[in-house]
Amino acid sequence: MTTLDARVVRRVHPGLTIDATIRLGDEIGVLFGPSGAGKSTLLRLIAGLARPDDGRVELAGETLFDAARRVDVPLRRRRIGMIFQDDLLFPHLDVAGNVGFGLKGAGRPERARRVEEVAALCGVSALLGRGIATLSGGERQRVGLARALAPRPRLLLCDEPVSALDLPGRRRLLDRLRGVQQAEGIPILYVTHSPAEAVTLGTRLFLLEAGRVVAEGPPADVLARAGGRASLLHLEGIRNAFAGTVAEHEPGGEWTRVALDGGPSLFVAPVDLPAGARVDVEVAGDEVMLAVGPIAGLSARNQVEGVVEAVAVHGREAEVVVRAGATLWLASTLASTPAAMGLSVGLPVTMILKARSVRVEPAAT
Amino acid sequence: MFDDLGPLWLSLKVATAATVGVAVVGVPAALVLARSRFPGKGLAAGILALPLVLPPTVVGYLLLQAIGRRAWLGRWLEEALGVVLVFHGSGAVLASAVAAFPLFLLPARGAFEAVDPRLEDAARLLGRGEASVFLAVTLPLAWRGLAAGLVLAFARALGDFGATMMVAGNIPSLTQTASLAIYDAVQSGDSRRAATLALGVSAISVAALAFVQRTLPGREVRP
Repeated sequence: MTTLDARVVRRVHPGLTIDATIRLGDEIGVLFGPSGAGKSTLLRLIAGLARPDDGRVELAGETLFDAARRVDVPLRRRRIGMIFQDDLLFPHLDVAGNVGFGLKGAGRPERARRVEEVAALCGVSALLGRGIATLSGGERQRVGLARALAPRPRLLLCDEPVSALDLPGRRRLLDRLRGVQQAEGIPILYVTHSPAEAVTLGTRLFLLEAGRVVAEGPPADVLARAGGRASLLHLEGIRNAFAGTVAEHEPGGEWTRVALDGGPSLFVAPVDLPAGARVDVEVAGDEVMLAVGPIAGLSARNQVEGVVEAVAVHGREAEVVVRAGATLWLASTLASTPAAMGLSVGLPVTMILKARSVRVEPAAT
Repeated sequence: MFDDLGPLWLSLKVATAATVGVAVVGVPAALVLARSRFPGKGLAAGILALPLVLPPTVVGYLLLQAIGRRAWLGRWLEEALGVVLVFHGSGAVLASAVAAFPLFLLPARGAFEAVDPRLEDAARLLGRGEASVFLAVTLPLAWRGLAAGLVLAFARALGDFGATMMVAGNIPSLTQTASLAIYDAVQSGDSRRAATLALGVSAISVAALAFVQRTLPGREVRP
């Protein structure tokens, strides 16, 4: 079912005209493309922050903009939530004031109830009394998310919200977004130029080049088809990021075992943290080796069973998306490797990791 | 000694009324200059700032040309509303307000320009109308600059001499503000009266300055 149905046209400058059609159901759509493709502008046109020269925007059956019929619903009545690259929190209000800002019409008890509800959903309940200046970057983005969700928007737009965050912060916000999509059941349109985010976050990808959607569909398929345009995908070095708990230490001090949330346990180099401590875990995509089936007699400590979720070939490289429990992994290989190994979606594989290639740090709060 | 304080009291009333007038006209004007684009904006901003660079007597002279009893605006005011501004306390208010106006307008415009318009857009997306956006976002983020401008305007209005003298004259207990009375006292050799009034006006001005310095640097708000 289509919830958002938008075609917007706007001549931004002589070198760039945006002419894009976005249809999205209650799912996470990713707007992906190189810088300068017009991703953020397209988002602003859909939101109503900039006015299209032509086109039509429909959300949940309501026409928000129609150039032909001269319809242009004012921002305050569009019920669109948005989070921004530089969070744009109100600096003169505390966290609760920010989160409740969009609930002005609601009665006091309803307002308080909804603030608590979205605060819990976004993991900012403990921050409600804090001032904005005291928050970390990740906390600010989660507060921005809670603020956007409080008035029950019909669409959530995300303009590169994690680009200022470190890797664990990114992972936490992306996890939140998936949870939000499930809890609120609204379409989310997410702008990014990171292929790792594009492949793992959404169910539908719009590849934007020079203002136009040149490909659209399941993320891995689109990236695979876009493979010839290697310049498009300047991979910034894909890293996998997870949250986990220290499970046990080998008595001889040789290794520590870390249980990833909802996923496998990993043997890692000894960590000076007590069992039960929360940790952030990172593995570079390059360090994940793939095998079809388990292997005996291997020096690497970790053999993680998973299922191929997607294969994206781009230029000389490929990313294989592997699901292990609730965790999604990206393994970087050469472009020819997936075909040579006969990797296809749904195939069981084993990921092989040396304990030393897993980076573990105390969880940031 | 306290019978000497009449002009000081009048000055306070005139300057307060002028400051209120400056705020009522100046806040919308500053907002428009900070947020809108329209043809002739530079010219409009220049004209509004003109009292800052013109000699006060010239400001007074121009006002007289507009609101004198034989000028078109002055005649209309008198015939339609029965209002005569010249040689009246209200004329002193008008003259000092016009003289003080740019001292509010410039910092107020700067304060509004310093408010990130994207914060206002964020507020609109959260369902707020224009009035609500102004009261809940723009004003709280700009108020330090506005307060500074108001204090400056108040101090300028309190001290106005030339424009007030031209428009309202120097009529004891009607339009003779402290500045005019100090001049008179010095001319007539009443040095005690001059000193008392000078001390009073200075005390008020210093208090205003102290208010600005206490209020403005305070807790910084991240823009």
